[in-house]
Amino acid sequence: MVLAPPKPRAGRAAQVVGFLSGNEMAALSAKQIGFHLMGYYPITPSTEIAELLDEMKAAGEHEIVMVPADGEHSAAGICFGASTGGGRVFNATSAQGLLYSLEELPVQSGTRYPMLLDISTRTVSAPLDIRGDHSDVYFALDTGWLVFMARSPQAVYDLNLVALRLAERPDVRLPAIVAFDGFFTSHQKRRVLTFADDETVRGWLGPLPDTVSALDPRHPVTIGPYMNDPDLINNKYQVERAMGAALGALAEVLAEYEALSGRHYDAVDLYRMEDADIAVLLLNSAAETAKDVADRLRSQGIRAGVISPNVIRPFPACTIRAALRNVRAVVIGERSPSFGANGASLSHEVKSALKDDPENRTLCLSRAYGLGGRDFYPEDAEAFFRLALDTAERGAVEVAFDYYGVEAGDPGRARARRGAPALTREEQTSGLISVEPGPDGRLQVRTPACWQLAAKPKRLVPGHGACPGCGAFPAIDQFLRGVEGDVTVLYQTGCAMVVTTGYPYTSHRVTYLHNLFQNGAATLGGLVEMFHERVRRGELPAGEDITFVMVTGDGGMDIGMGAAIGAALRNHKMIILEYDNEGYMNTGSQLSYSTPLGHMTSTSHVGPAEDGKSFHHKDTPQIMAATNMPYVFTGVEGFPEDLLAKAAKAQWYAKHEGTTYGKVLVSCPLNWKTEDDAGVEVVQAAVDSCFFPLYEIERGVTRITYDPEAIGRRVAVADWLELMGKTQHLCKPGNEAALASIEAEVQRRWLRLKARNDHPLL
Amino acid sequence: MSEPMVSAVASQMDRIPGADADGFFGIRFESIGGLGAHLAGQILAEAGVLRQGLNGAHFSSYGSEKKGTPVSSYVRFCPAGSELRTSSPIERPQVVAVFHEALMRSFDVAAGLPADGTLIVNTRAGPEQIRERCGLASGTVVVIDALGIALEEKTRPNTAMLGAVVSHCPFLDPSAVRETIAERLARGHAELIEANLRTYDRGARELSSMTWPATAESAGRPVKRAAPAYGYLEAPAGGVILDPANSIVKDLSTSRQGFLPSYNADTCVHCGICDIVCPDLCFVWSDDGEGTPAVRLLGIDYRYCKGCLKCVQACPTGSLTELREEDGWAEQHRVPLFPWPEVERSA
Repeated sequence: MVLAPPKPRAGRAAQVVGFLSGNEMAALSAKQIGFHLMGYYPITPSTEIAELLDEMKAAGEHEIVMVPADGEHSAAGICFGASTGGGRVFNATSAQGLLYSLEELPVQSGTRYPMLLDISTRTVSAPLDIRGDHSDVYFALDTGWLVFMARSPQAVYDLNLVALRLAERPDVRLPAIVAFDGFFTSHQKRRVLTFADDETVRGWLGPLPDTVSALDPRHPVTIGPYMNDPDLINNKYQVERAMGAALGALAEVLAEYEALSGRHYDAVDLYRMEDADIAVLLLNSAAETAKDVADRLRSQGIRAGVISPNVIRPFPACTIRAALRNVRAVVIGERSPSFGANGASLSHEVKSALKDDPENRTLCLSRAYGLGGRDFYPEDAEAFFRLALDTAERGAVEVAFDYYGVEAGDPGRARARRGAPALTREEQTSGLISVEPGPDGRLQVRTPACWQLAAKPKRLVPGHGACPGCGAFPAIDQFLRGVEGDVTVLYQTGCAMVVTTGYPYTSHRVTYLHNLFQNGAATLGGLVEMFHERVRRGELPAGEDITFVMVTGDGGMDIGMGAAIGAALRNHKMIILEYDNEGYMNTGSQLSYSTPLGHMTSTSHVGPAEDGKSFHHKDTPQIMAATNMPYVFTGVEGFPEDLLAKAAKAQWYAKHEGTTYGKVLVSCPLNWKTEDDAGVEVVQAAVDSCFFPLYEIERGVTRITYDPEAIGRRVAVADWLELMGKTQHLCKPGNEAALASIEAEVQRRWLRLKARNDHPLL
Repeated sequence: MSEPMVSAVASQMDRIPGADADGFFGIRFESIGGLGAHLAGQILAEAGVLRQGLNGAHFSSYGSEKKGTPVSSYVRFCPAGSELRTSSPIERPQVVAVFHEALMRSFDVAAGLPADGTLIVNTRAGPEQIRERCGLASGTVVVIDALGIALEEKTRPNTAMLGAVVSHCPFLDPSAVRETIAERLARGHAELIEANLRTYDRGARELSSMTWPATAESAGRPVKRAAPAYGYLEAPAGGVILDPANSIVKDLSTSRQGFLPSYNADTCVHCGICDIVCPDLCFVWSDDGEGTPAVRLLGIDYRYCKGCLKCVQACPTGSLTELREEDGWAEQHRVPLFPWPEVERSA
């Protein structure tokens, strides 16, 4: 589509030229629509959408209620609940986020509440890959949502408006997805046009048509009853009919949008298809690359065309059937696997559309390409066209389905083993740490001085890609120094996971396992139980003795809170070690529930209409302690005497009694906005201000292990906050109330902790 | 997003001078995370599109990279009336700007540069030296001490690099980029505008360049693409990594931004605090059991040191001090952490 310069014609609204990415266009359209609420959870590459909306909100540019959920499942629940209240609702996600919320999608459509969900597409894990393919959005195809595909930043904006208008029609009333290619579109800035005035957008959409509201006590309704057969099939048929209605109404909505914007869209984008002999059928950004190649082939006398649906639910079968009527061969490229199905959904749906035309002779080939965000270059498009051409000339399909762009490699190639040899149990046992049950029921621990452990081989090795000055690694390393013998680690998704395991490299010298961060504790619990069972059955040596350590960020203790509490209640013999850097730093510093009040993050901006994070930090150690697990502790990086002893105790309890948990405060210079070398000083101030007290809870009995007051080192909360760029605003005039609120909360928690310290029954 | 003044010349251009066969003029920035190359690319592209009326795109290479790891940023321009559809990385740029000189040690920053392309490097070296280090057969080499200018002006080198880049893209209007820089800073950092514009102007002025003309035989630099570590017939199933701790074969020295810790063994008391605070686990110890303490600090494996200087901050005896890194110093003073030859071979 050529961008016309913005010259308003009769009926057209004024527009402005911008230079924006797909995510920016998504955020801008949401702001202009003026949704009532956005429920979201950060996940790359869609996170920017919520970040940008939060930034605009802080600047006072819109009034959308922004609800940062504790996971995508919650985010989808927040959106569903909000939409039953009769307002406009928005969400944005990617990959695992979509899959984690998947069960909510049919709830939203089955109850017929329209909303808009933007998917910045990304590969589904495992292996974890943050880049873009369509394997995520394909999971949503059978959920009863309208699914639009946006090929460019401009299309993201336009189709967000179109999709919502279609979704809200009384004869449709279905939620809508607009999916665009992660990074290729979400993060690429292009020249774009947008409406100059938010009212243009709001006027065009009009008010949300009346729906069944959960907020009308004078008209009580029951939403979501229990419904068996023979009624259920009729309910589903209603959804089917709504899809049909959506397909019928789409052309009208697109025509109305063209009248407003001057931009023309069809259900299927057909490029030079009028007389095409051969074609490729591709979704989104790859189709755009193929158009350039089609032009080139046309100049060589090859009649090539590109078919690219703008909407895939409802599936525009008739348009595709008509477009392919005279095409001799088509290659259907899909950025998604569908294992064992000989091609993903689109391939089969296109073939099925053609089957309904008895005259059709088009030869169809299906190719999976571009998985994991693999780039699609013009020569790749050309290879697809050449494949179509060869097939047309041959008059028969040779290989109906295959992967494009895979490499076999040479299995005979000799590969030297690289890296370090496995550590022996002896190497992992210093013999300098002793833990004995004492007469008072507490463990007595003896630990060595720092230098005594310095030469001990480390379970974590260099070569990881953490930022300079990262506090997570010194903390994890310090903790592991206090653990003797064989160790197996599980890292939940997060910075420490990503930077230590970039394929084909690992910085772990002991066995390492990853699972997504809502589920690491359950996963490790399963492994622990398997270990003990296999020892019991004699399948592993009787003397085998492994300490199991789960490493998580504070983000993982938000989305993974349920799994962590479950593991603690079941009391698996394992350690949960949380490195808390006060935010979702792996995805670019969004707020976590452990982010303290008033702190500036990329989803809690500071501006005229927003003052950083709006609620106090989560007291995770106390939540975990309420499971009555045998041992809970806190620690900080750079205070080895304290952390070593706690590590030794955590190991003893994890071996003898059950689950132990510790939260270690670590610095993040990048997102705390400090110098790279400032970490130890900042966490020391966090401890000395009593924001982050060092203590342990041993079999329910609390003991403060470092009392800054007792040694005359207590500092004001402001002395800590002024060390970080993310909090300096709290120490400036105008923010007295926020500072006082943090001080009061810190003092309240500190006094309660002291009371517990002083009384074993608290 | 107001409607800026559009330069009539640029908007009427039907072909950008020097553009490739498809009509695109590509610019690639090679940098490490944290140096502002992504932002510089954004400014450049925004100036061309919003102030000069060109069509254009900007994007950066994305992985899960953190601060200090290599990043490429791309700007693609074409005339206003041309379609810009492709979103693939720019493999054959007309201009490559290297923000971080150390990158030239580890990979081919000039990959894909045509025979008459332009290589701009943030360095104190001369154009001939850079050409030699890069093994560039022909084309233009531009050198600019962007870091030096930034230190003097108390700004960042990316603005000086922008000045140098614009001076070698004649279709770009230097004042359009100036205005874009000023407009961006006006949103919250107005006090920095003047120094940044000075930095930008000096970047355009204080460079030196030499051109080695392309001949009929001159071929451009070959394109480089990432290759998979394994093919599907050889990769261990399930994506598992069977070699423990193999990240030790990597070299992270390019993550340093000009500073590293220097170790003085004469004053060290071998307390082990540096080892406790180091995120990169690169202190090297002996445990020979002789003397007190028995464990002694031998030195630092600078191959893994990212120059955060946490150890300097923590050292109680002043035995670790901050040093401005000179080329070759780290290699000379490095103490290898691992004894295995294959690790050294890959260094």
